[in-house]
Amino acid sequence: MLEFSGISKSYAKSPVKAVDGLELRVADGEIFGFLGPNGAGKTTTIKLLTGVLRPDAGRMDIDGIDIAAEPLRAKRRFGYVSDNPELFARLKAYEYLNFVADVFGVSSLDRQQRIDHYAGLFEIKDVLHGSIGSFSHGMKQKLLVIASLLHDPANWILDEPMVGLDPKSAFALKEIMRQRSRDGKLVFFSTHVMEVAEKLCDRIGIINKGRLIFSGSVAELRAAQGADSSLEKLFLELVDDEAEAQP
Amino acid sequence: MKVFLSLARLYLQSFYNLPGARRRSGAASGAQRVAASRPAANFRTMLKAVGIGLLAVFVLANFGFMFVSLNLVLYDSLAPLGLQGFVLLNAVILASVLTLLVGFMTALSTYFMNDMEFQLLALPIPPRALLGAKFTAVYVAEALLSLLVMASAMLIFAIKRQPPALFYVAGSLAGLLVPLPVLALVYAAQIPLLSFARFLRNKQAILVVGGLVGIAFAIVFNLYYQGMMANMSDSVWLLRNAGPDSVLAQFGRAWPPAYFAWQAMVAPGLVGFGRNLLPLAAICLGAPLLLIVLLGGRYAQSLVGFNEQFIRKMTAPASSGFLADRLRTGNRFWSLVKREIVGMNREPMYFLNGPFIIVLLPVLMAVMLGVQREALLEGESLQALTGLLANGAGTVVVALAGAFLGSGTSITCTALSRDAKLLPYLKSLPVPAHHWLLAKLVHGLIFAVFGVAMAALIFGFFFRLAPLDLAAGSLVGLALSFLCNLLGLLLDTVNPRLSWDNPIAAMKQNPNAVIIMLGVMGLMGGIAYLSFRFRLTTGQFVLLCGGLPAALFVVLLLALPGWAARRFTALEV
Ligand SMILES: Nc1ncnc2c1ncn2[C@@H]1O[C@H](COP(=O)(O)OP(=O)(O)OP(=O)(O)O)[C@@H](O)[C@H]1O
Ligand SMILES: [Mg+2]
Repeated sequence: MLEFSGISKSYAKSPVKAVDGLELRVADGEIFGFLGPNGAGKTTTIKLLTGVLRPDAGRMDIDGIDIAAEPLRAKRRFGYVSDNPELFARLKAYEYLNFVADVFGVSSLDRQQRIDHYAGLFEIKDVLHGSIGSFSHGMKQKLLVIASLLHDPANWILDEPMVGLDPKSAFALKEIMRQRSRDGKLVFFSTHVMEVAEKLCDRIGIINKGRLIFSGSVAELRAAQGADSSLEKLFLELVDDEAEAQP
Repeated sequence: MKVFLSLARLYLQSFYNLPGARRRSGAASGAQRVAASRPAANFRTMLKAVGIGLLAVFVLANFGFMFVSLNLVLYDSLAPLGLQGFVLLNAVILASVLTLLVGFMTALSTYFMNDMEFQLLALPIPPRALLGAKFTAVYVAEALLSLLVMASAMLIFAIKRQPPALFYVAGSLAGLLVPLPVLALVYAAQIPLLSFARFLRNKQAILVVGGLVGIAFAIVFNLYYQGMMANMSDSVWLLRNAGPDSVLAQFGRAWPPAYFAWQAMVAPGLVGFGRNLLPLAAICLGAPLLLIVLLGGRYAQSLVGFNEQFIRKMTAPASSGFLADRLRTGNRFWSLVKREIVGMNREPMYFLNGPFIIVLLPVLMAVMLGVQREALLEGESLQALTGLLANGAGTVVVALAGAFLGSGTSITCTALSRDAKLLPYLKSLPVPAHHWLLAKLVHGLIFAVFGVAMAALIFGFFFRLAPLDLAAGSLVGLALSFLCNLLGLLLDTVNPRLSWDNPIAAMKQNPNAVIIMLGVMGLMGGIAYLSFRFRLTTGQFVLLCGGLPAALFVVLLLALPGWAARRFTALEV
């Protein structure tokens, strides 16, 4: 379970808030899609949630654990896929996986089984001995996804995970999300792909200029906007309305 | 032409990391941009500039001093024979050879800078402009080096003979022109080489080759300098090696740019200029033009497919076996340390500019000691030396050399800067902040131990120090380098360099590395002064110069879980 209450953050004391008074609650078993235009504050929110950044105000709880007060306990409760897979170019893939598994204290057997399963699913099992620097963007992305699942976290947090994945892998990723949700685990991810959000998510949140302007199911968004159109259209209208409301 | 100029500017900016490049690069984070307008940040930027400036002055002064002293001795030895003009030929040739070696390495290591080159290849830029711009950027550093050499020779003549103003004009022009054909030759060799030898078309291979050439160059230059200085009083030797019939002079006559540059300086008149400077300029400007016209296209083609890596895919049974074999639990903290070690030392740019010093400097030292051993160990001077070394100086020398090698790796003082891109990810992992810092420190300390061992090995071997003296020196060296490594880590925690697109920026152009290097040298000077001024006994020396830093190290270690961890957590990336 994720809870944000009154979260605000501005970078380098800049007067503009990248995230402004965020209030949000995501329940276990939910797949939550986080939408918003470029620069809206999605990545910032996720970085705050994962303890990469510290909020100027407010508090966040992961499974009831305050991340500011007990960062280590809270961090063991989630797996994180960052928006930039261009990391660890000098490590070999299996070295990186061992590193993450060691950090989370995953047993040899568990890590072997999970890596075998997910690497098979994403079809990168045959290159795990290779250097990450020689991987394509999508291969790196898959590796990051696998690493985030090594400790089978109750909460899975992903920043634009579909970018650069081929259709088959994107499908596999969505399947994993659905399976986790069925198992009562939480999935929180940001995306620009409206179809994915519409079909996959139990609820969505839309953020614009740091402020959460909607949260709820797509059906609720339709009702609120009084239109029976696609999420894409609803999204564009909502963001446009916002722009007109505060020039 | 316009394309060429803006391209040359782009290369210059990213080669030398000029402010323009950083301001324009998209990677400079918003935070940095906002911060730059604040007075505190301005002050910091200024400090950085001052630090880098100091380093430049330091390096220049060092080399300048070396060249001037070499030329001075050469002049004094050749003038009685009426051959002082050969000092100038010597300088021109030295400038040519130096620019050849430095140019070879610079051209090779910047042949393919980074993936920016691919983007340039995709733009409608004529290949000749591409090569021309890169040539220009490399040439700028070459010209400075060559001018430095020429200036050091001209300085001697200015003092000894007061030549006409035209002499300086000729000398400066020669300094500017001489590197041009040399660099053209370098590219004329490298372009076909990299076009055909595919294995070289890889940053890693290039850096390894560059590193080896660098060592070879450092050794050869060292031998040349030592040999020159050692034999200056021997006029027969001198005539043979620097006189009109020497290999050097013959080479000078055979390499027209050197010959014309030399003649232009020896006969600085209008007639001499016409006869010498005009052909010099024609050759020196013609060579790069010819290169660019003839090989521009080949050069652009050789950039295609750079950095290709080949992974052989495993068969299904092999991969299952591999996973069962390699995926094993390890110690958690050791995992962090391993990541530090692998992440740094598999990146040639980091390794060659960092931990490699532990190998490079001892090799140089060994060569130097090997050459001078006879001189050092002859008769009276031997007795004086062994007396001195046995009286505690040996301990001091080992301690200082160990401290230098152990602290000169730039591991800890660039540890956070190098991790800039990774920090967001690392901070999301359930690892206490001070464990990250501790792992970085341990990485530095492991190499510090290597460095001290290396120093002990070399000096122990050459000076046959007593085991006790050797142990005492090593202990002090360890204490000092441990302290410096910790200070470096704290420095990079306070002021990491987080926005960069090229690993060079995190390492070579990191002011923290400069500050620590200068600090270590200052510390060494201070300790050498203290120990000789107060004639410390070995016991006192160990207690004062080893015990004190060790105590300080332990005290500062307490800052890691406290203050440093808080700084680390607060870093915005
Ligand atoms: N390191 C940083 N320093 C300063 N400002 C930043 C930094 N990172 C992001 N910002 C600012 O914070 C705001 C929100 O950015 P964020 O990266 O959270 O957007 P996003 O919703 O993830 O956008 P995108 O869809 O493009 O990924 C933007 O105005 C951005 O300029
Ligand atoms: Mg983002």
